[in-house]
Amino acid sequence: MILAVLFANSDGNILIERFHGVPAEERLHWRSFLVKLGSENLKGSKNEELHVASHKSVSIVYTTIGDVCLYIVGKDEYDELALAEVIFAITSAVKDVCGKPPTERLFLDKYGRICLCLDEIVWQGLLENTEKDRVRRLTRLKPPVEP
Amino acid sequence: MASGQDSSGTTLMDLITSDPSATSTAGASSQQQSSSGVGGSLLGKPVAPTADRKSKKGTLTQIQNETISAAKALNPVKPVSYAQLVRSIHELAATCDQKSSQRQLVNSVFPKLAVYNSVDPSVAPSLLMLHQQCEDRNVLRYVYYYLARILSDNGSQGLSAAGGIPTPNWDALADIDAVGGVTRADVVPRIVDQLSAESSSDDVEFHARRLAALKALTSCSTSSSEMMEKLNEIVFGILEKVADTKQKRKKGIFTKQGGDKESIVRGNLQYASLSSLRRLPLDPGNQPFLHRAVQGIEFSDPVAVRHALSIISEIAAKDPYSVAMALGKSAQPGGALQDILHLHDVLARVYLAKLCHSISRARVLDQRPDIKSQYSSLLYQLLLDPSDRVCFEAINCVLGKGDNTESTEDRAGGWIRLTREILKLPEAPSVASKGVLSKSSEKSSKARRPQPLIKLVMRRLESSFRSFSRPVLHAAARVVQEMGKSRAAAFALGAYDEGASLNVESLDSDLENPMAEATRKPNLLSNGHGGMDTIAGLLASLMEVVRTTVACECVYVRAMVIKALIWMQNPHESFEELKSIIACELSDPAWPSSLLNDVLLTLHARFKATPDMAVTLLEIARIFATKVPGKIDADVLQLLWKTCLVGAGPDGKHTALEAVTIVLDLPPPQPGSMSGLTSVDMVSASDPKSAMALQRLVQAAVWFLGENANYAASEYAWESATPPGTALMMLDADKMVAAASSRNPTLASALTRLQRCAFSGSWEIRIAAVQALTTIAIRSGEPYRLQIYEFLHALALGGVQSNFSELQLSNGENQGASGTGLGSLIIPMLKVLDEMYRAQDDLARDIRQHDNSKQEWSDEELKELYETHERLLDFVSLFCFVPRAKYLPLGPTSAKLIEIYRNRHNISASGGLSDPAVATGISDLMYESKEVQKETNTVQSGIDPDLAMAWAAGLEDDVWANNAPAVDKVKDFLAGAGTDAPDVDDEEYMNSRPSVGYDDMWAKTILETYDAEEDDGRYSGGSSPESTGSVETSISSHFGGMNYPSLFSSKPSSHGATQQTIREEPPSYSTSVLQRKESFENPLAGRGGRSFGSHEDEDKSSGNPQSGKALYDFTAGGDDELNLITGEEVEIEYEVDGWYYVKKRRPGRDGKMAGLVPVLYVSS
Repeated sequence: MILAVLFANSDGNILIERFHGVPAEERLHWRSFLVKLGSENLKGSKNEELHVASHKSVSIVYTTIGDVCLYIVGKDEYDELALAEVIFAITSAVKDVCGKPPTERLFLDKYGRICLCLDEIVWQGLLENTEKDRVRRLTRLKPPVEP
Repeated sequence: MASGQDSSGTTLMDLITSDPSATSTAGASSQQQSSSGVGGSLLGKPVAPTADRKSKKGTLTQIQNETISAAKALNPVKPVSYAQLVRSIHELAATCDQKSSQRQLVNSVFPKLAVYNSVDPSVAPSLLMLHQQCEDRNVLRYVYYYLARILSDNGSQGLSAAGGIPTPNWDALADIDAVGGVTRADVVPRIVDQLSAESSSDDVEFHARRLAALKALTSCSTSSSEMMEKLNEIVFGILEKVADTKQKRKKGIFTKQGGDKESIVRGNLQYASLSSLRRLPLDPGNQPFLHRAVQGIEFSDPVAVRHALSIISEIAAKDPYSVAMALGKSAQPGGALQDILHLHDVLARVYLAKLCHSISRARVLDQRPDIKSQYSSLLYQLLLDPSDRVCFEAINCVLGKGDNTESTEDRAGGWIRLTREILKLPEAPSVASKGVLSKSSEKSSKARRPQPLIKLVMRRLESSFRSFSRPVLHAAARVVQEMGKSRAAAFALGAYDEGASLNVESLDSDLENPMAEATRKPNLLSNGHGGMDTIAGLLASLMEVVRTTVACECVYVRAMVIKALIWMQNPHESFEELKSIIACELSDPAWPSSLLNDVLLTLHARFKATPDMAVTLLEIARIFATKVPGKIDADVLQLLWKTCLVGAGPDGKHTALEAVTIVLDLPPPQPGSMSGLTSVDMVSASDPKSAMALQRLVQAAVWFLGENANYAASEYAWESATPPGTALMMLDADKMVAAASSRNPTLASALTRLQRCAFSGSWEIRIAAVQALTTIAIRSGEPYRLQIYEFLHALALGGVQSNFSELQLSNGENQGASGTGLGSLIIPMLKVLDEMYRAQDDLARDIRQHDNSKQEWSDEELKELYETHERLLDFVSLFCFVPRAKYLPLGPTSAKLIEIYRNRHNISASGGLSDPAVATGISDLMYESKEVQKETNTVQSGIDPDLAMAWAAGLEDDVWANNAPAVDKVKDFLAGAGTDAPDVDDEEYMNSRPSVGYDDMWAKTILETYDAEEDDGRYSGGSSPESTGSVETSISSHFGGMNYPSLFSSKPSSHGATQQTIREEPPSYSTSVLQRKESFENPLAGRGGRSFGSHEDEDKSSGNPQSGKALYDFTAGGDDELNLITGEEVEIEYEVDGWYYVKKRRPGRDGKMAGLVPVLYVSS
């Protein structure tokens, strides 16, 4: 289960968040925990360099893409390596939408499109599509494989 | 959080809408937006009274109207508020055939609306209109997105699974809004109908929309059975048409290009339908369900195959037999499952590993070794997978890791499999015949030689540890940890054979071996070189690599590596290296306390797996106690001490106690002067907070020593062979100490430590030390009791203090005018000992008299003796737990006389039940409480250390269950639980976040209540990793372990009391915290008898009336007390600090029916 996908800017403002199976009262804790992780470890980190953390049986993988930080929390089959796959799918989709590692401004300009991509990649806590072409087609309401 | 709100007023919407031309608008609307959040802030909270809501709703509408007009006036083309966006949708939907409307929807309205968590149902009609009339794909894609949101919005205060700016509870608002309110109930059926119709349509041209509609439908809530039925119908309808294809699947990358239109459309539909099937609730008994899933593994779409496999593997975990039957020949060479090995989807292969694991380990398939071997062979092939994720999953499966419920046997079997089995690739017709996949066939030909699994695994892990990727390192360390777990299990079951060389011929395992076929083939590996070819050699070289990983800069990776090292630590190996690694690591301030506690819990788990390692683990735990006292959870540490001590075995007990109490030998930390320490034994308490925490820890250790020294030393007064006093009394103190230490060095050294603590150290430690000494005095035989008596006596007088204080550095505290300041505390203790000695003297005198005059003891005399015995027992029980049936306050010589009296009067010796101390559960030592439980069943049994040991070796879970809140943590950890949210260590951070995303939007009131709750949660959330750093928590938890015994309380001996309450009711943290705090502020408060307010609540709440009998006459001393006559029957209502509130059956002579009586006067 992918428990959370969260985009934040470098100041710790949350831009997009998707929770699944996380009780409402715990979300605030997750937000602060993740943003704190990022503020401690992502400064000076390379673009798309993967960072890892864990909390009990839950894995967390996070990275920066352009000016935006991306955090993913998962459990069970979504361990750190599977989350690395998820994060890769998401970053490549975001880069595809924005055309480059996005600045915060660019990210916000493409906000709607990114939400749609995310919808195609992580759906109800499960990884769905990973290939960026497929994701692109689906966000334009085209079939995953073109006849 | 609230301050963050003030520091910056930007919201996500501001960020999105802000551009230079519209700054003013954005600023204005941001304010409005956050106030409109007041209406929206009903999220997640029970909705306030209606009147309140109405007014809020009123304000909301008003504010939004103002916003709209203001925004329109300033900048008509940039709608920013939610209401504006919705209005735009309504307007644009009406003109959706125009290109400009479509563009506006796609470019500005829909993306901005995406900021919100959900849209209100009143938007649905417009969305549905767009859905029907608009043809623009981009618009439609957003329409599906929002329709899915409306469907998934479960109506509970607008917080759906997805995120976004929290929106109001639309339904609640619609209810209030009498005019034209639209609720979800109105629109959801319409949406579902429209989407269902679309997803059932067969028009090929629109199949992309069909997929999207189906996907949107799956987001509707699973709670509605009607909806589920409909969805089921649709999904199975589609599968009916598309699943039954005999067409052979083309693999992976080729799917995209080739294929006719029809088969591609079919593939897409297969994908969509399986994706929906995956979201349907699992239905293990349902054959069509399984059948469709099994068909799915032959589909052309890799994502569809992944979903199919994940469904099958989940069902296989529950019902392996039917899955194996349904899969039939798929696992054979050339079958569909073999093809998945080469499928370009990592998770699909992960699920394949899980599936193979479930089937190859299934007991129900024992009759079908052929099936099992097919699946294990598949699993072993996955070890060669290029993806680390798949390979690691396969290793874990081979090792027998399941969902944390696997048994030790499974684990041990896993280790044996790993070390003994051979991967022999099948003749690989699937690869060879297909020819095209040159890459993989090359790979498999390279690896075609039979290979021992262990070698493959070790090589793979070693190369993973050289990776630069943190997730890979973390995962690899986790695999090593799992390996350690399996090895420990194998070790525990005696199936461990590390020196075995990898000679395949010697591998005829005594266990059932599905790969027997393969193992019998001679191995091509050279063997006999020793070194690298033994498992030990391979492990050693792996561990070398693992250790170097400690250098990783990420703490989480290092933590995992340390856990792996702890698990791979063998009881017979030197652990110096591990110790120094941990000591070095702990000096790093970057470690968050949650991680440290995780490592501590790993020590627990390691101990559970191998009780032999108790001493080793205690040594490691000691490093935690000294290095990071402020960061670790003292409860968990104490539990570790205790369980390790009990588990250390007769030989290890001394060492184990030493390992714990070494904490006491540490010099008091001196803030600021602790830089540059490397020694394990040095204290790092460089700040006042951790110095404080260390002091608490020392206090806990003192208490622990007092409670457990007798157990560790196997010295019990009731087993002591030495007759009390007499000869030894004549010796002088020095000789006595010498005699004592030669007889039992463990106890002697414990005494020495405690005596030192009673002088040095802080006030709290001295108190604890004196109490610990009393406990030991009561429980031990001579000469220890006398030694302590002398010591306490001296302490009370304060006369010898000056001699001792030179030995130890004083901490600068004023020791008190009366010498130690402990006089008031010691005197009652001395009194007990005085009474015991006096009674013993009297007894000795009486015996001598009787012997001299050759006179039998009369019944009267015996009765007197027996009463003295009982009185002393009651007295002693106030200080610490002693087994009533065995304990002889009058010394061993009295045993016979008391026995005579008991037999004559038919008094049962099993005082255990009626012992008020036991009844209220002060017994602390775990083995003792276990024994006491036994006593209730078998009449004559006391504490038998051998029995205790036998039990300790087993360490059953139910015993753990009786203990402390820490136990819950340990159990949670062992069960692999914990997906709850982490907490952030310092609140500072949360408050000082420069700007907050959604939080601005949230009403202040909500934030405030949330904060308050959070503070409570600090104590109620035992599973939150946070806050262990805070001094307060560690103080309170220390006191959880060491409440002070109260003379007048029925719960004198601390820890047990806490345990008992926990056993009786769900742990009510708040009350115990209250109690803990109280005892911290005033350690002597408990002595006041009734001052434990919190107990009152606890006990009242547990009130099942219990019947009891008055043991003695009691005269009421106040209005609220009740007169009792021996033998009178009463009903016990509840207990308050040593007093029962009882009701009589009929009014007494004074006419009173109910009142308080001392606990000791009533048998319960």
